[in-house]
Amino acid sequence: MIPDWMKEVDIGPCRCSAIYHGKKGFVGKTIDGILSFLEEAFISDSFSRRNGFLQSLDPRAKLVSILALIFATSLIGDLRLLIFVYMLTLLFSYLSKIDVLFFIKRVWLFIPIFAGIIAIPMIFNIFFPGDPLISLVYLGPGAHLGPFSLPDSIYITRQGVNNAVIFTMRVATCVSAVVLLYLTTPQNVLFKSLRTVGVPKIYVFTLEMTYRYIFLLMNLVREIYVAKKARTIRSRSMFEEQKWVGGRIGYTLIRSLDMSEKVHAAMMSRGYNGDVKIMQEFKMRNRDYISVVIAISMSVVLVLISQNIIR
Amino acid sequence: MHIPDGYLGPYTYIAFWIIMIPIWYYAGKKVSTELRSRQVPLLALSAAFSFVIMMFNVPIPGGSTGHAVGAAIIGIVLGPWAAVITISVALVLQALMFGDGGITAVAANCFNMGVVMPFVAYYAYKLISGNSEITSPIRIIASAIAGYLSLTMAATFTGIEFGIQPLLHHTAAGVPLYMPYPLSITVPAMVLEHVLGFSILEALITALIFAYIQKTDTTILYGETSEEQKNKMRRAVPIEV
Repeated sequence: MIPDWMKEVDIGPCRCSAIYHGKKGFVGKTIDGILSFLEEAFISDSFSRRNGFLQSLDPRAKLVSILALIFATSLIGDLRLLIFVYMLTLLFSYLSKIDVLFFIKRVWLFIPIFAGIIAIPMIFNIFFPGDPLISLVYLGPGAHLGPFSLPDSIYITRQGVNNAVIFTMRVATCVSAVVLLYLTTPQNVLFKSLRTVGVPKIYVFTLEMTYRYIFLLMNLVREIYVAKKARTIRSRSMFEEQKWVGGRIGYTLIRSLDMSEKVHAAMMSRGYNGDVKIMQEFKMRNRDYISVVIAISMSVVLVLISQNIIR
Repeated sequence: MHIPDGYLGPYTYIAFWIIMIPIWYYAGKKVSTELRSRQVPLLALSAAFSFVIMMFNVPIPGGSTGHAVGAAIIGIVLGPWAAVITISVALVLQALMFGDGGITAVAANCFNMGVVMPFVAYYAYKLISGNSEITSPIRIIASAIAGYLSLTMAATFTGIEFGIQPLLHHTAAGVPLYMPYPLSITVPAMVLEHVLGFSILEALITALIFAYIQKTDTTILYGETSEEQKNKMRRAVPIEV
């Protein structure tokens, strides 16, 4: 019998990454990157084992529902609808016992870097004309920046702000839906559920194996960099360091291909004949069917509204 | 390079799904006859490798650090078709598990980084190295050029995909719905950024990795049918897909 304290699920994300002192060089950055990757994986895993609403659904039902919702979101051009769907993801994160603040942070951490670069210039009248909202500077006629001619005055446009907000919200809503999917589903179950959307068995198997070996290789890379850090007294010229990294990547590649031969031999000796069998342990219940029906019909309605078929 | 959801409109991403499904199917067939029962472990480990390669930080001038995409060296070492599957698996994992790159845009990302990059890299490498000795320095130069060209091509494709969005998707009033900038902005932005920066790094790292493999173990290179490779094949059994 397993004692109760061993079965307890750790709730709440942990900060397990070490604090790195001093200026980070490429070695420190790599070690940090790997530690935060591992931390991220642990946190998602701890959420996926909580006793919440989405965790209790059949993974296939959840996958299909969320994919339908992402597809519908990618078609929406109306800000109110986007906000509605975004609020829905927040509601479901709450129902699934995920810290709503953590969830929001997790999503918006990705957004600003890329969407910001694209969305911020959109709000000015340099690229897209529109009605002025806030006037910034008056340049006078004939102003230009290098080869580009600029308008008489630069202002923030109403349409620009509207488009930029729609663009960012659409990206945020799609990311939220995906984050919700993987925060509430253990990886092995998530990969198996991909069978329902037509991914061949052999690739489901490959994905599962890849996921497992990523951690092994990550640890290998971390050890390489820690070993270097431990033995470094004075850093060498940049090219020497780059050569070192190139060599280590080459080494990791040779190591992983060699490992694949050994894994293959081990599989063969245990009776693998190329035929993949995946244990099917899912059971669709009524609530799963109901949620698929609700999610798909909501997606259809969203698509119809966004295409102006129903108003 | 990882296109998120919401950047590409439905016409574009659906078109990429339609393009990618036969490519994946053909690649799967080809790889399973070439690798037989070694397919799953080999592809899984190399997909894990192509995931991990991005963790290796390299010092670059200016005191900053960068990392390689790695699709070029994977194309050269595994051959282009195995690279298609390997990189696609890594990209699907990134999209599903880490929110890196969108779900709707998986096919477009797989096309840019999983098809364009390894194919350009592999054929550039083959063409330049020709019949030279496996240990000749020409091959290091070939791998550098392969890295440079492949990433630049992939960036160009990404730029074009972004640039056609305002043409394909806009409201009746002409307001763009997805990526708002036209080809005249997206293509130069993507290409210049890579030609002057990322592609140089990719070329350097690809060449350094290749030089290391040349010194250490050339039997892993695709198309070099050594005794070692034949021995590995002898242990594998054919499988049905």
